[in-house]
Amino acid sequence: MNTAVDIRGLSVRFERGGSSVTALDRLDAVVPEGHVFGLLGPNGAGKTTLMHVLLGFLPPTAGQASIFGTDVRRAIARQRIGYLPEHPDTYRFLTARELLHTAGRLFGLRGRDLRSRSDALLERLDLTAAADRLAGTFSRGMLQRICLAQALINDPDLVILDEPTGGMDPFGRLRIREMIAELKARGKTVLLSSHELSEVELVCDTIAILYKGSVITAGSAAALVPAGESLERFFIRTIEAVDAGAADHAGKGAAHA
Amino acid sequence: MRKILVIAGIVWMEMWRRKTLHVLGILLAATLLLLFSINISGLGRIPGYVKETGLLLTWLLGWIMGINIAVRQLPQEEKRGTVYAMLARPVGRGQLLLGKWLGAWLAATGAVLCFYALNVLIVGGFGGRFGAVALLQAVSLHGMLLAMITALAVALSVRLTQEAAAALSYIATAAMFAFVPRIPEFVAGAEGWRQTAMLILYTAMPHFELFDMRPRVVHLHGPIRWSTWALILLYGAMITTILLTAAWLAFRNRHFSRTAKD
Repeated sequence: MNTAVDIRGLSVRFERGGSSVTALDRLDAVVPEGHVFGLLGPNGAGKTTLMHVLLGFLPPTAGQASIFGTDVRRAIARQRIGYLPEHPDTYRFLTARELLHTAGRLFGLRGRDLRSRSDALLERLDLTAAADRLAGTFSRGMLQRICLAQALINDPDLVILDEPTGGMDPFGRLRIREMIAELKARGKTVLLSSHELSEVELVCDTIAILYKGSVITAGSAAALVPAGESLERFFIRTIEAVDAGAADHAGKGAAHA
Repeated sequence: MRKILVIAGIVWMEMWRRKTLHVLGILLAATLLLLFSINISGLGRIPGYVKETGLLLTWLLGWIMGINIAVRQLPQEEKRGTVYAMLARPVGRGQLLLGKWLGAWLAATGAVLCFYALNVLIVGGFGGRFGAVALLQAVSLHGMLLAMITALAVALSVRLTQEAAAALSYIATAAMFAFVPRIPEFVAGAEGWRQTAMLILYTAMPHFELFDMRPRVVHLHGPIRWSTWALILLYGAMITTILLTAAWLAFRNRHFSRTAKD
């Protein structure tokens, strides 16, 4: 199986308030193509930082990362990526259709192909009726959906979702779950960060728990979580074990899916 | 180039949908018509007076628009969080910067063109006229001046907040208009290292006054030589390139992760 994401010895350090903060600490991870990979971790664990490095927003202090074999620092690496940020927002002075056309043109799409993809996404995300309305008039859920549609306009092979269900109602969460399942069925790779542990358990092939910039444990939910224990309980126990100084016991190291 | 144009298109759409141009156009037309109707001491009947006022207003509105549009582009992208979605596409930071600048420059220049057309219509409607070639040169030099002003505003907005960049852009450009042409007067009165420092300053600072052909246009003095016109345009293009290069150097390693909580 080919590798979608390859991370080797990745470290990111910031200067904050005069002191050095390690956001990612010599991280190794490999995500194979077609997998749904869930990143779990408490606030400040480094999940968003890792996604920002993969998207080229942030240069690593040490180590390297590649997407489908291309260094993430090259703009072309993002040709096959779709990204939904944690707090998605968009140009509110454009209509839903204009937003999709703009996003598509940045991926080099045009003409009939762009129009048909836009129409299909608007329909799939239940936005056809609002296609010619300004995004400024949209509800929060509609904004989330149009941002998701923009992330999918290039039919990406790797979809990066940062807290995609944050603030969504149960119907919205169900729609996201169905979409992830559909992407997986089409052989796409999904990298997902979420605090909704039950959701992660449902959709992810592999789960990695990130804490203080390191992957402390990784594997399938079935392999990681002992029988009779919930993922939530396992997550809390693992974090507490690290805090108690039992990092080695918790299995600090590489996350090979 | 296509991606740069797509990004510039977003700037134009924002300006159009926010009706910035409409408001300023109405303001300019209303002011010019008012000048004709007031007719204080018969001044309103003199086309030269109206032309001078109209061109001054066009310059002021172009200056305000150029800075206001340019200075908000990058800070607003970051504030809205749309910079993340934008840079998650195969768009380089240089392309984003150039697209934003191009959008702001062409939007301000387009608005200024409309204002010039309005001036010509109103002045012509009341019996006045402009020299066509001189006006063409004046408009093109004004466009190049706006390229420099918008490049400066974009460059300042890379590292400063929108408000700070706007304030600094207004101060810097006003100083360049008002102070730089007067430096030779100070040079004559200075000696030694002070004189040398002022001469260096005079050479290094952008000379916005070169782009101002209003007196020639108002008083129908005719066009300048085309070689002079071309040299001034070249000078403007050089200053714009320097400012955009400085902006790119500051922008290419800019960390956007500061809002990241996890």
